[in-house]
Order: sequence, then C-alpha cells, then structure tokens
Amino acid sequence: MALDFATLETGQELSDKTYVLDAPTVERYVGAVGDRSGIYQPADDRPVVPAMAVAALGLRGIVADLGIPEGTVHAGQELDFSGAVRVGDVLRCRAVLSQNAVRGETRLVSLRLSVEDGAGSQVMTGKTTLLMGAAHGAARA
Amino acid sequence: MKEGDLLRSVEKQITQDTITEYAAASGDMNPIHVDQEFAARSQFGGTIAHGMMVAASVSEMMSAEFGMAWIETGRLKLRFRAPVYPGGAITAYGQVKRVRAKDGGSEVVCSVGVRSESEEDAVTGEATVRTGVQS
Repeated sequence: MALDFATLETGQELSDKTYVLDAPTVERYVGAVGDRSGIYQPADDRPVVPAMAVAALGLRGIVADLGIPEGTVHAGQELDFSGAVRVGDVLRCRAVLSQNAVRGETRLVSLRLSVEDGAGSQVMTGKTTLLMGAAHGAARA
Repeated sequence: MKEGDLLRSVEKQITQDTITEYAAASGDMNPIHVDQEFAARSQFGGTIAHGMMVAASVSEMMSAEFGMAWIETGRLKLRFRAPVYPGGAITAYGQVKRVRAKDGGSEVVCSVGVRSESEEDAVTGEATVRTGVQS
C-alpha cells in the first residue's frame, strides 16, 4: 500500500505487523552485515538475534507498509533495546507518525517504533527520521 | 570500564554486493542503494549503503564489548552525517564518556561513530548500556 505523506497526521499509526523471526531471515541478515560479535550462535537451539537485526527486520514490514518514496534518505536513528530476541520468536512491530513537516524542498518524517515479543513484552523501541522530497505525495507502491 | 577507554573498533568492507545483499535481507530496496542509474541522478551521484547497514557495525562493536547487556539494555542514538559509498572500508569506533552507578550496577555512556576510508565521519552518536545490574 502506498501512503500519501502530505495527508498523514502525527499520532497516526502507519504500520502494525506481526511475524515470526525465522532462522533463514536472521541468517541472511547476519550474512549481509557480517556480524562477528559472537552474540549470534547459529548452532544454539534458539540463537539470540543481534540487536540491530531486530531493528532492521522490524523495520522491514514498516518499509513495505509505508511505500517510502524513492530516494528517501535516513537521517537519524534512535533505538532502545530492552530484551533478548531469539530465532523463532513472534514479533509485533508498530510504527506511529511522530513528525511530518516540510522545510523548504524537504519533507521531514519521524516514526516512533515499538517491537513486542509474543508475550507482549517490549523488546525494542525507537525513532526513525527520514528526509524525502517535499513534493512527494503518493509514494511508490 | 572507565572514562576515556577506547572500544575495540570494527572494520567492514562495503561493496555493491554487500549493499545489495543487505537490501534483500532487510527488504529495503530503495533505488538509492541498488539502482546505479537512479543513484547517479541523485544528490549522491551514486549508490550508497543503507544507514542501518552502517549502523549495524556500531551495534556489533557494542555487542562484542558488552555482550548480552547490550542486547537487553542498550540505547543508541545516531545521526547519519555523510553517505557511505561502495568500494571502501568503514570503521566503527567508540570511547567511554561517562560511567556512573545506577540500579546496583553501572551505566556506561560511550561516544560512537563510523568513519569512512576518507576519514570522514559518516555516523556519529551516543551509545548507553547498563552493566552488572542485579535482576
């Protein structure tokens, strides 16, 4: 679904997705970033997922829901981790619009993020700040 | 750890292949990262790495230093200051700014960042973690 950012209001919930963080998804992410911190031990029964993987994979569904316009730039990121996530966990990822302002030729959009595990415990919160062309109305699908 | 201590830096090679791999893994196929023609016409003049891909090196550094404490109590605040282009290395770095007693353990605040091969700060920010907290 594509959103028209010009019509969105702060406080509006933009995305609410629940999914299982499966092994192939995590493996693919860890391979892409080459994480060698030792946190992720694929031989474990239910390996702990690297913190940034929770953020990036949580954002995945949100990115799909928003239909973020081409050329959008990620300007800032805040993340607050509050619990370990393991491969196989169910995650509920939500995004709420916290800022939508136009400054000159640029639209500044901020999203408040929250990720809960299957038991409803918060495992991550955050804030994403995006810069896109002010002229962007309907985003690409 | 004490104030002034340096964190063990993390170095990564950024190539178009790793960017494309990250795009597939994260689902962020913004053409600024994966479409050479589109990116050439953009303000950057070429494809750039995802901000979250670059930021992952900071989180890896914090995980290597603080283990599960980072996973369970970490707080990260980053500003993406300059693009990272494929074809070079980036280095995540950090230094302990402050250590204070909190909740029976310690709260460690670090200044962190990611530097490109040209010594430009691509990312700067702050990472906070609580260690030795009794549950």
